[in-house]
Amino acid sequence: MTAVEAPSPSDSRAAEASPGSRMIVAVLALVGFFISLYLLAYSVGLTGTLMCGVGDCSAVQSSEYARLGPLPVSALGVVGYAVLFLLGLMGVQPRYRDSRLVAGLLLVGASMGFLYSAYLTYLEAAVIGEWCQWCVLSAIVMTLIFLACLPEVRRIGGRT
Amino acid sequence: MTWSWHVSRTNREKKKSGRAVGARSSGMTRFYVVLGVVALVGVAAVGYSVSSKAMGTAVAEPVDLDIPDLGTLVSLAKGVERGNPDAPVTILEFADYQCPACGQYAMMIKPQVDLQLVESGRAKYVFYDFPLVQSHPGAFLAARAARCAGEQDAYWTYHDELFRQQNRWTAERSPAGLFVDYAVSLGLDEDEFGSCLRSDRYADVITANLELGRQLGVSGTPTFMVSSGQGMATRLPDWYFDSFESAVAEAEGR
Repeated sequence: MTAVEAPSPSDSRAAEASPGSRMIVAVLALVGFFISLYLLAYSVGLTGTLMCGVGDCSAVQSSEYARLGPLPVSALGVVGYAVLFLLGLMGVQPRYRDSRLVAGLLLVGASMGFLYSAYLTYLEAAVIGEWCQWCVLSAIVMTLIFLACLPEVRRIGGRT
Repeated sequence: MTWSWHVSRTNREKKKSGRAVGARSSGMTRFYVVLGVVALVGVAAVGYSVSSKAMGTAVAEPVDLDIPDLGTLVSLAKGVERGNPDAPVTILEFADYQCPACGQYAMMIKPQVDLQLVESGRAKYVFYDFPLVQSHPGAFLAARAARCAGEQDAYWTYHDELFRQQNRWTAERSPAGLFVDYAVSLGLDEDEFGSCLRSDRYADVITANLELGRQLGVSGTPTFMVSSGQGMATRLPDWYFDSFESAVAEAEGR
């Protein structure tokens, strides 16, 4: 009698996927959250001035593009990064590691954030003609989040 | 044989699995430590910028003053003077740093008034604050900022800078940061200027100036008066240079 058990690696590629990329997403989203929070504090008058070693942050922050209707764009950043942070945090928990929903939300959220960041960067370069170092930093963070979310495509495609 | 191989294989897998779980657990610990560090640094940085640069204590509105009579008001109100202190004629301006017409006057007409009437010694110029905070929420703070610049002998350069940059800072909900930036760009000491701006310094004088203007019938800005020290000051009907010229000439003839 041979008790040869079938090896039990999951045949789901999603299950094999490391949560490392989601950890990166969570950490980066937390960094982005604080950058946006700082800009939001400035927009609502809680800080007197913006620390701005490079570029002209005041010119960008006082431009018409710094607001989306009644809301400062930084408020959108605070909410967006907070959502990405929570999704990243959920995604590393064993319970949600293979969840297609979390993977899909991460991918959609990061893609939207990346596209909006690209649009804001275009505005700085081509329309306002001034750079705000915090906005550029936020755009870099969002790009890295987007790249870290690319493996979610495999998770969504995996059988879970 | 087969069984023992199976048992030892299972043990190996268990050990391997145990190591994987341990590695995963230490990886999670590291992850939470990194998150904690980022959160701490973020909270500290944002908290510091809010607490150290907050203009919450900066007085940006008129204050309550006890002014029982006109004599008290006149002693409290103080304009900022320039030109020959012994000039026989005085030009008084009541202005609001946030009023667009005041900005136009400061940029277009005032240089000629300065050159031909003040620097020539014919008239002394006195600027009185008249910040209409209900429609111009940054005007009082701007008036205080100019006074703070005056502590470093830069009242008039700062006055000109405020009007030159009027479109910019009036678009800000909180212009205090820009006021500090302007001070720095003019070579003023940032800490000294900032601590003045974050206080209530000059709020009483500016409030008194505002009240003096009201007592003199000023209802809009800019308002100009010309006085020769004899009798009532003459109020100018407009702010064209010719009006200043003729009012000064008339006052000189009195």
